[in-house]
Amino acid sequence: MYNLVMKDVRLAIHPFFFLFPFLMGALMLIPNWIYFIVLLYFCWITIPNLFNQFKAQNDLMFTSVMPVAKRDMVKARVLVIVGLELLHLVTAAIFGFISMILYPDTNYLFFPPNMGFWGLNLVMLAIFNLIFIPLFYKTAYKFGWALFAAVTAAMLFAGISQWLGIQNAVVNDIFYGTDAQQVKLQTFILIAGILIFVALSIIAYRLAVKRFRRVEI
Amino acid sequence: MLALDVRNVNKRYHNFHLKNVSFQLEKGYIMGFIGENGAGKTTTIKSILNMTHMDSGEIHVLGRNMSEYELELKQEIGYAMGGVDFYTRSKVKALTEVIKKFYVNWDDETYRNYLLKFKLDENKRIAELSTGMKVKYNIAIALSHGAKLLIFDEPTSGLDPVARDELLDIFQGLVAEGEISILFSTHITSDLERCADFITFIQNGQIVRSGEKEEFKESYLLLNGAATQLNQVKDRLISYKMNSFGFTGLILARDFNNSWDMKAATPSLEEIMVYFAKKEDEYV
Repeated sequence: MYNLVMKDVRLAIHPFFFLFPFLMGALMLIPNWIYFIVLLYFCWITIPNLFNQFKAQNDLMFTSVMPVAKRDMVKARVLVIVGLELLHLVTAAIFGFISMILYPDTNYLFFPPNMGFWGLNLVMLAIFNLIFIPLFYKTAYKFGWALFAAVTAAMLFAGISQWLGIQNAVVNDIFYGTDAQQVKLQTFILIAGILIFVALSIIAYRLAVKRFRRVEI
Repeated sequence: MLALDVRNVNKRYHNFHLKNVSFQLEKGYIMGFIGENGAGKTTTIKSILNMTHMDSGEIHVLGRNMSEYELELKQEIGYAMGGVDFYTRSKVKALTEVIKKFYVNWDDETYRNYLLKFKLDENKRIAELSTGMKVKYNIAIALSHGAKLLIFDEPTSGLDPVARDELLDIFQGLVAEGEISILFSTHITSDLERCADFITFIQNGQIVRSGEKEEFKESYLLLNGAATQLNQVKDRLISYKMNSFGFTGLILARDFNNSWDMKAATPSLEEIMVYFAKKEDEYV
């Protein structure tokens, strides 16, 4: 398993994609921006580049010839995706924290980068994983339509929740508030986000294994 | 002991069918796996490596069932595919560093020795290696993890005659001690004339014949006769070609009758392949 992850890290993933989270994270320093976009860059840029590289370098063939189980091939790939997602999320959260200190008096139109917002981001990535990973493993090399569907779903989730955050007084109160009660609620949303992210990523992995077993390499 | 035992493998695609493919490779020998493009060579090899799902059949490698012991057996199989490259922009060194971690019996010293023997430069990128060097690199990897069965899919296609000759010498050297066995698919039959011990001939998804090379060739005869004699033997010929002197046709040696006043000679592997392909065309 570890060997498979290291194979991706050493051969397939350009170091740029490990620095990219810091570049994108810095976008959190733009005051009062739509911060959902920061993590969406992962879906828009990192994922297609990564999967194009796997395809161009015949990674599927390369790995299939080696003594590794199909299940582990999927597990390692899911860990790589989840690992990069968390790297993006954590760096963005750190930059978000700095952003809140830099601009303390901002009257946020879009979600402020608080814990509740990161909870929503985790759900967005969970939806992305749940759609992208199983759809990709139908062939294990074609990723275009899987990416299109997953990005659309993630953007819809971001768009609808942001719209609710602006339009709906209750949702607005929960996500924009800074009182102790609201912060507590935001913490719960973050925890719920973590649980949903873990659960959906595991489901995505299981579905992907099932499909990958049927793939003719 | 059998290095490879393929039993009744069936696999149906919508436009192609692998039918009851069976053949055996004795340990310590080289088997040439021949057939025209699209005959089913690669599909058979993929079935051996458990990369496609067989509809039915069994594969045994070194006495053990591949579907049960896939991971253990893959430790003992070396595989190289001509013309397909992996991670071509990576350096040989980087690729080896990754690959070696997957094999429990990896031996760095053996690897170093083969690098020297094959004059492989570790600092070159895969894309910078010649076709022959790539095959040698694959051999070095396979032998360094102690592979006992080497499966090469068209390893000599795209090689110049000098590199081919060198590679065939290497193959023969590898099996000399009797531990390593090679299954080697190709459509360049002259390579097999030189180094194969056994021949398995596949056509249109079916094994035509599998056996010791000389016996394989001697089981056929190439007949030369006048055009007027053709009708006498036409029904028994596998296929034939007309030329200005008469006809040339391939026949099973047991169907040949000495009383016929015709020249008969043992065909080459290429001639056997060509006449079988011609027969196929006639039915189309």
